[in-house]
Amino acid sequence: MAAAFTSSPNRMELMKVRKRLALAEKGHDLLKDKMDALVMELFNTLKTIQKSRATAIEQLRKGYEAVSACMAVMGTFETMQAAEETKKEIQIEISERNIMGIEVPTVEIEETERNALTRGYSLHTTSSHLDTAAREMERAVKLLVELAELEVTALTLARELERTKRRVNALEYILIPRLQGAMNFIMMRLDEMERENFTRLKRIKAILEERE
Amino acid sequence: MSYKIAVIGDPETVIGFSLAGVSHTHVYRDKNKALGQLEEFLNNREIGLILITHRVVESLGPEFHQVVRKKGLIPLVLKIPDKTGYSPEKDELSDLVRRSVGIEIPVKTEGE
Amino acid sequence: MEQVIKFELGRLNAHLPVKRISLKSALSASRPAVQGKNGNLHYFKREELKLLSKLLPESEWDKLQLPILIALESKLGRGAARISGEIEAKVIGKILQREATDNEIIVYRPELALIRRKLPTTTQYMFVW
Repeated sequence: MAAAFTSSPNRMELMKVRKRLALAEKGHDLLKDKMDALVMELFNTLKTIQKSRATAIEQLRKGYEAVSACMAVMGTFETMQAAEETKKEIQIEISERNIMGIEVPTVEIEETERNALTRGYSLHTTSSHLDTAAREMERAVKLLVELAELEVTALTLARELERTKRRVNALEYILIPRLQGAMNFIMMRLDEMERENFTRLKRIKAILEERE
Repeated sequence: MSYKIAVIGDPETVIGFSLAGVSHTHVYRDKNKALGQLEEFLNNREIGLILITHRVVESLGPEFHQVVRKKGLIPLVLKIPDKTGYSPEKDELSDLVRRSVGIEIPVKTEGE
Repeated sequence: MEQVIKFELGRLNAHLPVKRISLKSALSASRPAVQGKNGNLHYFKREELKLLSKLLPESEWDKLQLPILIALESKLGRGAARISGEIEAKVIGKILQREATDNEIIVYRPELALIRRKLPTTTQYMFVW
């Protein structure tokens, strides 16, 4: 296996393999550092997600409740009408940011809460339950947008972590041992050749001495 | 860049988000129509975030993940509970994290 | 395999900005960002800029260069990182509630986590080898 690495066991080859080994070991250390940092980033994001999910889901629940209450008071059809009349202007700003070379989204959203006068439905034909429902849902949207950013970030980080782990393992269990094996093989062969040389020289010397 | 939001869910969910000002909506009626609309939303460059209820995601089956996997970073896709509060035991994020970090990290909180 | 290593190592720092911008510039820009060597843009979140502006007197806003670079150096060993720069170290010191010395500050893993939680877009990792 190690022999397949080298064309011929000589000092040049030994130097080359040593260099490759150094690069592989350096790469291994750096990628391990990257893994550490990724794990930390992921933990951070997950901690924030826990809180963000809890508040977003609670607010969404309130929103749904308010919508149900509105439909009970105003009627389903009328609520639907009002929903259609509402202005649909929510926008979000999505840009990128970078964590160690990994692109993740960063999202900003303007204030989502409007007031009853500006939403677009007529105040005469609607009840205050509608205002409440709209307001609770507007609040929910803002929290959900923040949550979406966090979840996509976490997913992206986790995938990158997997990739990096695979690289680290490939280095640790395949490439580095192979290179070490090659290095040892060459060193052993060089040693052998030196000894052979040495004994050959001794024999020649003995023959020459005999002749005299 | 500015984007709009889309939502796919049952009628009440859609009414709720319309009231909040969400511009692109689809009420779930059958699997094929919903998948078609989902793909449309995914390809619509104006849309930055798609909200979709857990129940609809389950109704769409494996095709949901196939369709979503093909897209890039945007639009973001977020699964949300509907008014019943249902969310599945199996959580993609928890699974992925467990696989990559190797240990259990609680992502779901009590009562979810 | 070794092509892959070279590629990954190149990738480690490719996101670092070609040129940083001062807190002052960032605050007045409508969509503050820097551009990485790889061409990708990196946007700062407004709430972080606000936090930083509260930690420093206005006279120093043009001295703080963003993003603040967190250097992961092999000679520091795993778990430690260095932040250099007078104002940068000062503001990090304020967040960690300890003093910076000699225009730099060395931070340890739990502190690093705190910094990254408070300033996810206005700090960036830099690998040094």
